[in-house]
Amino acid sequence: MTSQQVTIRFAPGEGAIGRIVTLVERRGFVLRGLAMHEEGDAASMTLDLVPRDASRRLDVLDLQLKRLIGVSAVTIPSGSVQ
Amino acid sequence: MTNAAARNDDAPPAPQPAPVSGARLVVEALEREGVTHIFGYPGGAIMPVYDALPGSSLTHILVRHEQAAAFAADAYGRVTGRPGVCLATSGPGATNLVTGIANAYMDSVPMVAITGQVATYLMGTDAFQEIDTFAITLPIVKHSYVIRDTADIPRIFAEAFEIARSGRPGPVLIDLPKDITILTASPGPVTLPARAEPLLDEPAIAKANALIARSRQPILYFGGGVGIARAEAALRNFAARSRIPSVATLRGLGAIPTDTPSHLGMLGMHGTRGANVAIDNCDLLICVGARFDDRVTGKLDTFAPNAKVIHLDGDPAEIGKLRRPEVALAGDLTTILDALTACPDASQPWRDQCAAQKQLWAPAYDAPGNGVYAPAMLKALSERAGDKAIFTCDVGQHQMWVAQHCRFTRPQAHLTSAGLGAMGYGVPAGIGALIAEPDATVITVSGDGSIMMNIHELATLRRYRLPLKIVLLDNSQLGMVRQWQELFFEENFSEIDLSDNPDFAEVARSFGIEAFTIDHRTQVDGAIDRLLATSGPVLCHVRIDPRENVWPLVPPNSSNIQMLETRW
Repeated sequence: MTSQQVTIRFAPGEGAIGRIVTLVERRGFVLRGLAMHEEGDAASMTLDLVPRDASRRLDVLDLQLKRLIGVSAVTIPSGSVQ
Repeated sequence: MTNAAARNDDAPPAPQPAPVSGARLVVEALEREGVTHIFGYPGGAIMPVYDALPGSSLTHILVRHEQAAAFAADAYGRVTGRPGVCLATSGPGATNLVTGIANAYMDSVPMVAITGQVATYLMGTDAFQEIDTFAITLPIVKHSYVIRDTADIPRIFAEAFEIARSGRPGPVLIDLPKDITILTASPGPVTLPARAEPLLDEPAIAKANALIARSRQPILYFGGGVGIARAEAALRNFAARSRIPSVATLRGLGAIPTDTPSHLGMLGMHGTRGANVAIDNCDLLICVGARFDDRVTGKLDTFAPNAKVIHLDGDPAEIGKLRRPEVALAGDLTTILDALTACPDASQPWRDQCAAQKQLWAPAYDAPGNGVYAPAMLKALSERAGDKAIFTCDVGQHQMWVAQHCRFTRPQAHLTSAGLGAMGYGVPAGIGALIAEPDATVITVSGDGSIMMNIHELATLRRYRLPLKIVLLDNSQLGMVRQWQELFFEENFSEIDLSDNPDFAEVARSFGIEAFTIDHRTQVDGAIDRLLATSGPVLCHVRIDPRENVWPLVPPNSSNIQMLETRW
């Protein structure tokens, strides 16, 4: 399966990165790449992900990431959502 | 004019609060949140907080193992809807809380777990009783904090309680380094930003109403989200005006009283055949506060195969996770249910069909023999205990019998470890329920495997004179594991024998708790009388047939209509 990109904007508090990465892996995605930068009080992280099987959907992951405290936006390029 | 006189002419500066210790700030923060009880166990790193407890308005319940503190706080949260609070020290104190925190996470229970931590300058050095509690609990909390500055304590506690109880509730962990609780600070008042309520999706409501109006064979499938949202009244009103038959998940039981004629009972692996057949035949599934859990759906692609789905949930992330609905409605369940005003057209034959199936497959209680038939005893006990009863369970066969045979008129009356399935939950949950609702008749149903996981909590019952009524169903084995080995592992019985159990009545008495044993069905009525009449904690040890199984049962990876069942 090809990798797909997800960009997450979040408040860079203690554990914020670990919380996001833990969730992504636990929900069935392999993390292939990670790029991050801070913009004032916020941070942005772009993840390259490969679903472990066909049942793992980015639209579901999108909502699960948005549920995290401190995550303000999740962007999935159009066409990536199954 | 002197400088002092000049200052007198200006507006007086706001008085600076006197510096107080971090531990004192913790206690004040808990009091501000309206906390009355905390469940905990002291130890090195959390000692400054314990030092600040005497003289506060907080009542501390000293359990005998931190896991019990977390389970009791969980039950308190389920009954009151307010976060239960548990407190433990660093290292083993914190790791012992983990199962209870996970339990609250899986069942969306409001909880604030406070753990001591070694001093900040020792963190990361493998100090005595240092463990990375924050990292260990990361996947099983709604949110978590390590407090790095004493002045942050009021803000972080205020945020933690708001996060724990708002939206889809869950546990929040606060890790408190020891030096932070000793240092002093004088923080100002805390104001949290207001939370935006989601707007009602009117086009989706219209679409849902159109689907309901067109349906001929609709089913209302509800779960624990109803009780979490305190939306029972709206659900009952919707069910009454639409006259749609209903089924409940394990966590949903009681949101519609289980003796309601149009309620078909629990669905899924140990559900009623009436409920599972109705799901199989329905043309519209209205899912309210449930999440298509694998124990509910069986083989997912065979679940409600002909149905369109309307999914209502307080948590948008649950909608479409496992089954994509035709209509998604996320938000406040009461508001959404009140907006569903359509009624299904011409569905009387369907209602008759559901009622007939319910009657046809109703459980029988006339088991042969003279031994105690646990389902019959539980049914009689719940009927006698009435609407003030709260049942707490452990995990195993007895847990399913409680769900199948007890009567519930509110979701808070059935406290069960549903998502995590944690043995050892029952007695500590009974403690939490009694603290939360002292007037309730709290009954713990346990098994001989489960009760041994937290048997030491009998000492807590004794210490606080908590009138918990324990029904211990003893088949001298791990009954549910034995049942699965019998049915699905070719009777290869492996490590299920508990025939060397202690005499449970003697054990209870050694803790100072009244106890008695029964093993014949003629003793059941008297045992129920005694349980309900006893003013203090009491344990009824019930020897049951070790060959008894839980029926019906959907085999793993099967459709829900492929139920196994035996009748005598």
